[in-house]
Amino acid sequence: MLFNTVDFAIFLPIVFVLYWFVFNKALKVQNVFLICVSYFFYACWDWHFLGLILLSSLVDYYVGRYLAHTIDKNKRKLGLIVSLVTNLGILAYFKYYNFFVESFIDGFTLFGASLEASTLQIILPVGISFYTFQTLSYTIDVYRNNIKPTQNIIAFLAFVSFFPQLVAGPIERASNLLPQFTKVRRFNYSSSVDGLKLILLGLFQKMVIADNCAVIVNQIFMNYSEQSGSTLFFGAFFFAFQIYGDFSGYSNIAIGSARILGFNLMQNFNMPYLSRNLGEFWRRWHISLSTWFRDYVYIPLGGNRGSKGKVIRNVFIVFLVSGLWHGANWTFVIWGLIHALCFIPLVIIGSNAKFQSTADKGRYLPSLKTIFQIGLTFFIVVLAWVFFRSENVSHALLYIKGMFNWSLMSMPQVSKGLILFLVVYMIFEWLQRDKIHMLDISFIKSKPIRILIYYTLVFIVFYFAGNTQPFIYFQF
Amino acid sequence: MKQFLKYTLLFLLPVLVIILLVEIFYRSVPNNYTYKHELIESQKETVETLIFGDSHTFYGLNPKYFSSKTLNMANVSQTLYFDKLLFEKYISEMKNLKHIIIPLEYTTMSQVDNTQEDIWRKYFYAEQMELDVPLITWYDIRKYSLAFTQKFGVTVRYYKEYKKNKTLVGCDDSGWGNTYISAIDSTEIDELAKIISRKHDDATSDFSVNKKRLNSIIETCIAKDIQVILVNMPVSQPYLKLLNQEEVQGIVDLTQELGFQNENVTAVNLLYDTRFQLNDFHDADHLNSKGAKKCSQILNAILEAN
Repeated sequence: MLFNTVDFAIFLPIVFVLYWFVFNKALKVQNVFLICVSYFFYACWDWHFLGLILLSSLVDYYVGRYLAHTIDKNKRKLGLIVSLVTNLGILAYFKYYNFFVESFIDGFTLFGASLEASTLQIILPVGISFYTFQTLSYTIDVYRNNIKPTQNIIAFLAFVSFFPQLVAGPIERASNLLPQFTKVRRFNYSSSVDGLKLILLGLFQKMVIADNCAVIVNQIFMNYSEQSGSTLFFGAFFFAFQIYGDFSGYSNIAIGSARILGFNLMQNFNMPYLSRNLGEFWRRWHISLSTWFRDYVYIPLGGNRGSKGKVIRNVFIVFLVSGLWHGANWTFVIWGLIHALCFIPLVIIGSNAKFQSTADKGRYLPSLKTIFQIGLTFFIVVLAWVFFRSENVSHALLYIKGMFNWSLMSMPQVSKGLILFLVVYMIFEWLQRDKIHMLDISFIKSKPIRILIYYTLVFIVFYFAGNTQPFIYFQF
Repeated sequence: MKQFLKYTLLFLLPVLVIILLVEIFYRSVPNNYTYKHELIESQKETVETLIFGDSHTFYGLNPKYFSSKTLNMANVSQTLYFDKLLFEKYISEMKNLKHIIIPLEYTTMSQVDNTQEDIWRKYFYAEQMELDVPLITWYDIRKYSLAFTQKFGVTVRYYKEYKKNKTLVGCDDSGWGNTYISAIDSTEIDELAKIISRKHDDATSDFSVNKKRLNSIIETCIAKDIQVILVNMPVSQPYLKLLNQEEVQGIVDLTQELGFQNENVTAVNLLYDTRFQLNDFHDADHLNSKGAKKCSQILNAILEAN
């Protein structure tokens, strides 16, 4: 079930009414109801893979309980290994088996040897990378004694399968989300209203920005050899907005849906294209994944501690693993590598943690310096997206080669209206940069004006929605 | 909570009203589906020749030029899936039926059911042509409401068209699509051919599903002594050249093969027919009224010879 469909528009209000009016008598009943609707939500794609979610949940629940009463270090390590092997094993089999086999064969072919090995016809279960990472983080946190393991299996199953964020995040931490399943939830008016605003914003980002960009992006990437450099550049530019609108839109609808059910999910995007360097970009883009890699890969590797060389190694590893997380293709690895290569200079000069505060606070217009910083960061990100979008590495290289020639100066054969629309959207983001989200317009005192803005957005969503496209991140 | 529900419903009220108006619009304004349904219901007992297919036969075969009583049941983007459903629904009631014409084209044989672009059509077939469409599940909301089948922008476009023409019906009382009158501007053909050929390239040559459907129709026709004309409809040469030639040949071969294998099947290949020139086309792949006349007369001569 997609968030941007009539099906979900009916599903969510039904869940809302039953959740608050019928199953609100006992927390346990409410949680069981959430498990049922979450499993139904997932089954709408493919019920065959429900067993995987259940397996992953049960393994981590019992490993957590085992760790709770085990003091012996080796035994605790064994418990952790069981969880890692199960979750990463599922992920490796469904997502990476063919990739590794093919890469292995290609590697041998490079050295002149031929190898016979067969790949498998494997269907990738939707959202597998998201829920395995979420449940894995629970076990690791329990192992590290950062959180206490839960004894409440219903709450744990609901935590893993919670439908708003089950298939594409935000990848929640047990420390934030799990306690919300174990205490009585009260309806909060302002939080629910904010949830609806987020849903509206998310629908706008997905249906208007992402889906309209997708049509042009598909055309340009499919026929890249026939396009001018400027058209190719704008193809990548539109993809940058497609993936942003797509994923940020999904996250906003997820967070909004959770809000009206009384849950607070973590923010996943914070206007990333206003970042002034890559360090800031990664604090604003797919925040739940970036922080996951920070906490469970980067810091265990040593993080910022040790020599510069070690720090650089750690950064490399994190970006490469992050690339691979996105998909079983070398294009994603190279995408990660580009980000690593552009991030490392920031680590060397010590400015990766720079720009923690709002840009040009208190000013309407950005300074020239800020424009340059944002522009440069955006340009790097757009170039890297070419690899992310391309089918293979040679396709991406040819695309970039086609981009950088004299035809880059020619008039692009793309919709000027859409470019203008995206520029206007970015201006609005700039004006709202110090708010929690773009539709936080509580500073407008006039209620009719606020309502007019909401209706305008509803109208735009209805009228200018592009052809429905699947969410890009579902494939991850 | 009550306040939240009240305000949310109040906010959504105009949206719900618009949805209701859209529903009324789709259910009250006649379109090609409702009109063709009326036509076949009123003529099913007298029709001798029935034309199926998509826009190529909808615009390309005019029953006026057939000597037998002919009805054009083709429609824009009508796939073999729906041709078969229509055929099965009416065949037992069509006592006078002697011929059916089915186009086998580049877009026909490898056509996949339920593609995103045309997904909305199945609801109109089910609701307005009263077809039992197995593709639609009982829990699909669009089975019950046509308002959710189209994007709002498309509905507004239909509404403007309705206001302008006072109808959404694009065919005459024989079912022929009569809105493609003019010929294509010859300066635009190459660019248009490029765009349309790309659009039609589905990157698959798997004919198995549709071949099965075709064979099922042919078998029923054998049992009822009905002649089947399988036709490769004419298209403009610039467009034809840009198609995957292997797939084109595969379709032509299949048409001929079915013609050889079945006594009641006649295969007609008009793809390379030089009688069709650029001024017979409305665009890259659709005949205009002049081309439709020519094509209809050719097929009528074949029917008469049979």
